[in-house]
Amino acid sequence: MSRIVIVGTKTRMEDAINAFYSEKAIHVIDHTTGDDELSIGSPVKGTSKASERLLKVRAMEKELGIKKKTKTADIAVEDVQKRISSGDVESVEDEVLRAVDARNDLTQKITELNSKKKTFETLKKLPLTLDFYSGYRSLAVLVGTTASDAASVKIDDAEIFSSFDKKEGGVVAVFVKAARKAEAVEALNACGFIEMTVPEYTEPVSADEVYQKMESELSEAVEALEAENKALEALKIKYMSFLKGSDEELSIAVEKGSVPLRIAVSKYAYVMDAWVPTKKVDSIKANLEQKLGDDIYVEFQETRGRKLEDSENAEPRFSNVPTKQNNGALVREFEYATSMVDVPRYQEIDPTFLIAIFLPLFFGYMIGDIGYSIPFIIIGAYGLKYAKNKDWRSIGLVLFFGGIWGAIFGLFYYGEMLGMHFVGGEYNAAGVWEWYHESAAHGGTGITWDWILGVTFPEWFYEILPNVAHGEGVGKLEDVGFLLKMSVYIGIVHLLIGQLVGLYNMLIQRGVKFAFIHKGGLIFSFLGMIFLCYALTDFMFNKASLGEGITFVCMILAIVLLVAGVAINTKAEGAMHAIMAIPEFIGQILSYSRLAAIAMSKAGMALAFNYIIFKMIMPSHTVDGLVYLDYSSGIAMVVIAIVMFAFLHLVVWTLGILSAGLHALRLQYVELMMRFFDGGGKRFAPLREKRVKTFFSRKTSTTKEV
Amino acid sequence: MVVESGVADITSGLIAIGAGFAVGLAGIGAGMAEKDIGAAAVGAITEDSSLFGKAMIFTVLPETIVIFGLVVAVMAMFVL
Repeated sequence: MSRIVIVGTKTRMEDAINAFYSEKAIHVIDHTTGDDELSIGSPVKGTSKASERLLKVRAMEKELGIKKKTKTADIAVEDVQKRISSGDVESVEDEVLRAVDARNDLTQKITELNSKKKTFETLKKLPLTLDFYSGYRSLAVLVGTTASDAASVKIDDAEIFSSFDKKEGGVVAVFVKAARKAEAVEALNACGFIEMTVPEYTEPVSADEVYQKMESELSEAVEALEAENKALEALKIKYMSFLKGSDEELSIAVEKGSVPLRIAVSKYAYVMDAWVPTKKVDSIKANLEQKLGDDIYVEFQETRGRKLEDSENAEPRFSNVPTKQNNGALVREFEYATSMVDVPRYQEIDPTFLIAIFLPLFFGYMIGDIGYSIPFIIIGAYGLKYAKNKDWRSIGLVLFFGGIWGAIFGLFYYGEMLGMHFVGGEYNAAGVWEWYHESAAHGGTGITWDWILGVTFPEWFYEILPNVAHGEGVGKLEDVGFLLKMSVYIGIVHLLIGQLVGLYNMLIQRGVKFAFIHKGGLIFSFLGMIFLCYALTDFMFNKASLGEGITFVCMILAIVLLVAGVAINTKAEGAMHAIMAIPEFIGQILSYSRLAAIAMSKAGMALAFNYIIFKMIMPSHTVDGLVYLDYSSGIAMVVIAIVMFAFLHLVVWTLGILSAGLHALRLQYVELMMRFFDGGGKRFAPLREKRVKTFFSRKTSTTKEV
Repeated sequence: MVVESGVADITSGLIAIGAGFAVGLAGIGAGMAEKDIGAAAVGAITEDSSLFGKAMIFTVLPETIVIFGLVVAVMAMFVL
């Protein structure tokens, strides 16, 4: 990154801002008011109008239910600009508001009608016309609902009409002498009386008649509301594209208009500090000068190195350099995984490329089954092609590449499909095919594809599979020792890469001596611990003598490296830390045994399911002491077996995504990145227009920037 | 269980029990450690979803305990 300072005349600031935006590589350093006579600028003319319009557009979008995800047709920038400047936002707002108001009125009317309707529905149960309820001088009328039956209520000098229904509750109308009203209320309260107001009527209309009228009014209102909603929907469809386009266009206008708030201005000029990629300094300078002539002056200030010292000595405003992650098209997709932890600092290596290599690799290693991998590849490819959301894309990415690794490991390493090996036997010395002892053919648990399909795979296929215990490939449940050993080796390599990257980071940040003391010591101890463990395991499990051969060499190497490592590390972090770091290495390396563990756990589930299906459900018969599947007898059983097979393997497959995916990610985040990654960087965010819904039609895109 | 000259050999059974305990108890331990971190992590992510990566790192830290249990179990099953 290089720092430049741009000075220009205020009169042409708007053109200048447009020119900055078209470079797409200028990261503005916010101006902080200091003792230099400069203050921050004020928004470009027209910005407040634009933000007012933006507010209107957003309000309309909300009213019409246009969401971020709503799909709309793209719209040309010139179209939008023309329509906005001709006052379309306001006229559309009028139209939309009128419809929205009408809808709101109707909704309110319906609520009111509903509550009134309820009153008359209750009064319907009493044998009185509505004129009875009002117009008395010396009588008080109490009308309301009751929770229990009011027929038993006795009030002196009163006439009581009541009705009760167990489900709907009761209703009561009491006509009592005005003086005795309080008494009556008290008596009614005993049965849960809630008073309601009855509208005044002078003609003898029955409650039922009014109720019918209300109902017809209500249905009319509902119809009108429906029509209004339809009208709103039509408005939405009509203006959707324009609204989304103008939302975007106005947002850009507001953003552009607010740029002066981030830079320093004097009476006639502005001064802007900015970070730009070093490669682009010259072209930016040339372009700006070409567009604005004498009204702009660009000066190169410095190119910031990767040494931490440089940043520490810089002015606080300029100490934090933005990070521009510079990865290829493929690796860039994995940047999301890195950013979930943090943005890398300017001075450190971007771990994305390591994640891009190891995340799918570990995922595939743990899945290690061609049967599960193919759906992963298909779903992943589909996700990568169609998904826009970052989360889905990153899942698709891991599934796709992880699936490819899974297929490779499944075919050439484990020799497995859906938890079953391809090959379940071998040719003996006489050239006769013999099933392995634990094969299903002998009644064992080793269900294999050649046994299921009743075929023998060609010899070349048999030969490409690795031979650990048998020739069928690495058995996830049979060759546990081998898998664990492999995981530890993978772990050592992975961790060593992490340590070396850490060393390199220190090297570019602080120089050779510092790096050697701070990371070199750790690497020595790490290697020493590995040799020590190798020697010790050889001694303990293989009963090798510690005093001779390779074990002896390893032991000596281990002691030398450990002593040197701890000594160097003591200088950096103190004796306590240096010694504590050593057992931690074991924990870190053993953490990789999850690679074997996850593979085993899924293989275990698959084994159980396959056993249920092929040994317990599928019919079989025995010939010459060998068990064979019998597809012809009992078609029902075969169908059940196939359905269960599909369902149960779907379970294993789904669990595979979760466990393998999360653990592969964890190994990157915790084991790898903790070795070297600091994070806390600031993302390089150059001035640029983010257009999704709007586009420049060709004619203007060439002239616009001038 | 192998019965030889009237004496039952329960070694392999004991090994299996031991291996089960190793994984099971380690799992309980890791679970207890993870539950608090997990709750706090979910809370933090609700506040600010960009914390997912960091939250996940902390949440899965205790998992290593289970791996130790697993290693012990595997050693018990295959090495002893």
